[in-house]
Amino acid sequence: MTCRSVRRGERGYPRLLAEIPDPPGRLWVRGEASLDVLERPAVAIVGARACSGYGRTVARSMATECGTAGAVVVSGMARGIDGEAHRGALAAGGITIAVLGCGIDRDYPAAHAELSRAIVSAGGLVVSEYEPGIEPAPWRFPARNRIIAGLARATVVVEARERSGALITADFALEDGREVLAVPGEITSSLSNGTNALLRLGATPATCAADVLESLGLEQQRVVPSVPNDPAAEQVLVALATGAGTADELSRSTGLGASELAAALALLELAGAVVVDEGMVRSTIAR
Amino acid sequence: MFGRAVTFALVGLEPRRVEVEAHLRSGQQPTFSIVGLADRACQEAKHRVRSGVHSALLPWPDMVITVNLAPAALRKEGTGFDLAIALTLLAASDEVPAKRLAEHACIGELGLDGRIRPVVGTIAAAEGAARAGFSRLLCASDSSQEAALAGIEAVGVRHIAEAVGYLRGEDDIEPASPEQDTLPVDTRLPDLADVRGQERGRRALELAAAGSHNLLLAGPPGTGKTMLGRRLPSILPPLTQDEALEVTRIHSVSGTLRPGSGLLTTPPFRAPHHGASAAAVIGGGTVPRPGEVSLAHRGVLLLDELPEFPRSVLEALRQPLEDGVVSVARVGGRALFPARFRLVATMNLCPCGGRGDPKLECVCTPARIAAYRDKVSRALLDRFDLVVAMPRPRAEELAAGPSEPSGVVRERVVEGAGRLRAAPPRRVTAASELLDRAVDRLPLTGRGRARVARVARTVAALAGSAEVLPEHVAEALSYRSPTGLGER
Repeated sequence: MTCRSVRRGERGYPRLLAEIPDPPGRLWVRGEASLDVLERPAVAIVGARACSGYGRTVARSMATECGTAGAVVVSGMARGIDGEAHRGALAAGGITIAVLGCGIDRDYPAAHAELSRAIVSAGGLVVSEYEPGIEPAPWRFPARNRIIAGLARATVVVEARERSGALITADFALEDGREVLAVPGEITSSLSNGTNALLRLGATPATCAADVLESLGLEQQRVVPSVPNDPAAEQVLVALATGAGTADELSRSTGLGASELAAALALLELAGAVVVDEGMVRSTIAR
Repeated sequence: MFGRAVTFALVGLEPRRVEVEAHLRSGQQPTFSIVGLADRACQEAKHRVRSGVHSALLPWPDMVITVNLAPAALRKEGTGFDLAIALTLLAASDEVPAKRLAEHACIGELGLDGRIRPVVGTIAAAEGAARAGFSRLLCASDSSQEAALAGIEAVGVRHIAEAVGYLRGEDDIEPASPEQDTLPVDTRLPDLADVRGQERGRRALELAAAGSHNLLLAGPPGTGKTMLGRRLPSILPPLTQDEALEVTRIHSVSGTLRPGSGLLTTPPFRAPHHGASAAAVIGGGTVPRPGEVSLAHRGVLLLDELPEFPRSVLEALRQPLEDGVVSVARVGGRALFPARFRLVATMNLCPCGGRGDPKLECVCTPARIAAYRDKVSRALLDRFDLVVAMPRPRAEELAAGPSEPSGVVRERVVEGAGRLRAAPPRRVTAASELLDRAVDRLPLTGRGRARVARVARTVAALAGSAEVLPEHVAEALSYRSPTGLGER
């Protein structure tokens, strides 16, 4: 694995990162891409590792739209929301940056080794303030979060419990004077406690990608999923407009049989208009 | 003095001809020894045979007796040789006519009172006898029905004295004939009408029945996954005559056939507990025995709580799932057991079971969920044609009226399965294009593509279509693995 490093004050050290109160003295970088990608308008999309299907869908589709609009997506390569944010950006052919909480030569979690390779080969970068060989440790992750916040002009928290690492990232972003957005969640879910608390404190609600892009000064490239020309599929989309549902619930609200519904769902999934996750069907189109 | 009789030993399901030879000579000390790689149960035949012959009030030759089981290199195990040993001795001491005994194959265990008991694998031994050119088989009267299924004249005897009387020509015994009635359907199976809601799960079950697909049901506890799986046998097409014979043979060898039950006509259902060992599930042992996968041959194997099974068991499942046969290699040779079954497996979405249930909150860490799911390897997951997530049904669904009963579903399944066999629907170009597009857009392996194509054919057959249309492929795609579990 080849990696390089850039010291603070050297050419190529990200300007935004240099502005934070406690910038890392040296930034290790993995990937062939030029360090200029760190100067592009970037948004951090972060959230819980143990996220819900809703959070996963939102993180992915928001990252996809940000990527399409030309924004760089920064996240922490953890499981859950972070991973989905990277994947969403990659799906749009966008550039994404992963900030590690361990040595630059490690892939943590190991299950995301494939993801880190995809990030690098798509023209993105994996960065860390730790030299090769440093083991991941719990106290390194909050420090890592300050780099995530520092690299991005805006930070979006998708799902977070009350004492989540994602809230630490949001705190850093506020300290750095960057914009903080939070995705509203269900008030009954503990996974929304953190994000709803942020909203109460005055964070900008992120209800669609345009909200995020606006804070970066970018225009949204409207990507309308090509909805298949199929009456059953249209019925499903109408039913999904009021919220996610299981296949059986959709079957009841649309009057479609299990077989027709299954066919419609697969077509919608292929078109990217819905995602099916653990039996829940969700529309990817923000209303 | 010399006597000879023929019986059959089993290697796996395969009958092997065994000649029982008895040699009697006078000596100072009467002895009785059995040679020819006889195991313990077989050695104990000495006591059963001696007592049995005494009980039948027949004279016991007080001589030096040597019984050889040939071929001497084949390991003999079990008690099925008793009858042949007793009759050989009686032939050697001229109590029964040797010529008439040579026309028969014999199998059966002896009681101390001379009664003949049925032994496991009688039908397989009878098939061996029929193939070896014997027209008659002497066996326990309790297993004569079973033996007759092999197409041999099965002479059922209750007692060693009855066998002697028959061989001497004093009594005549009518050989058993297999019941020739049409295969009856077991109506006591649990019915699908008991399952409220879960339309998607029911649909997948119907596809699994018609196309012999493997089905994985995933969801929180208490949503009826197991209940649904247990109802698969009630909608399966009935066994054909050949299939019924195959199934009966396996169950006879493993000893799970009730005496007098005759041909097994309903597809078997097996649900081993997750504590079962690999040998119990797959088959094996020093003397190879069929495992649960073979006992479920032509029927259903339900593995409840799939990730709780030991990894070794799950990985060993892959071979029978792919080949439909289990091969057990032993020093004494190799035994092949057929294992073509529909696998139905259930699992939770996470170890605590809260995931997928709106009323519960999952308390599992991502690492625990990953570890739980990793117990089921990609390779095994790839072998499920149908993966369905079963979320918790709302209360109003449970209050809904009764659902379609098994009988109605079964009619459709029988029709669809018949169409698949006779004239499998062919894919139209547009359907192939949709499949290619799916391979491009979705994480679908080559094996996954083939599975979707197979399921699409079943969907078409159930719909009564002669062609696989795009809508059939689309429906099949929605059950692909591992979508139901959520990709991560």
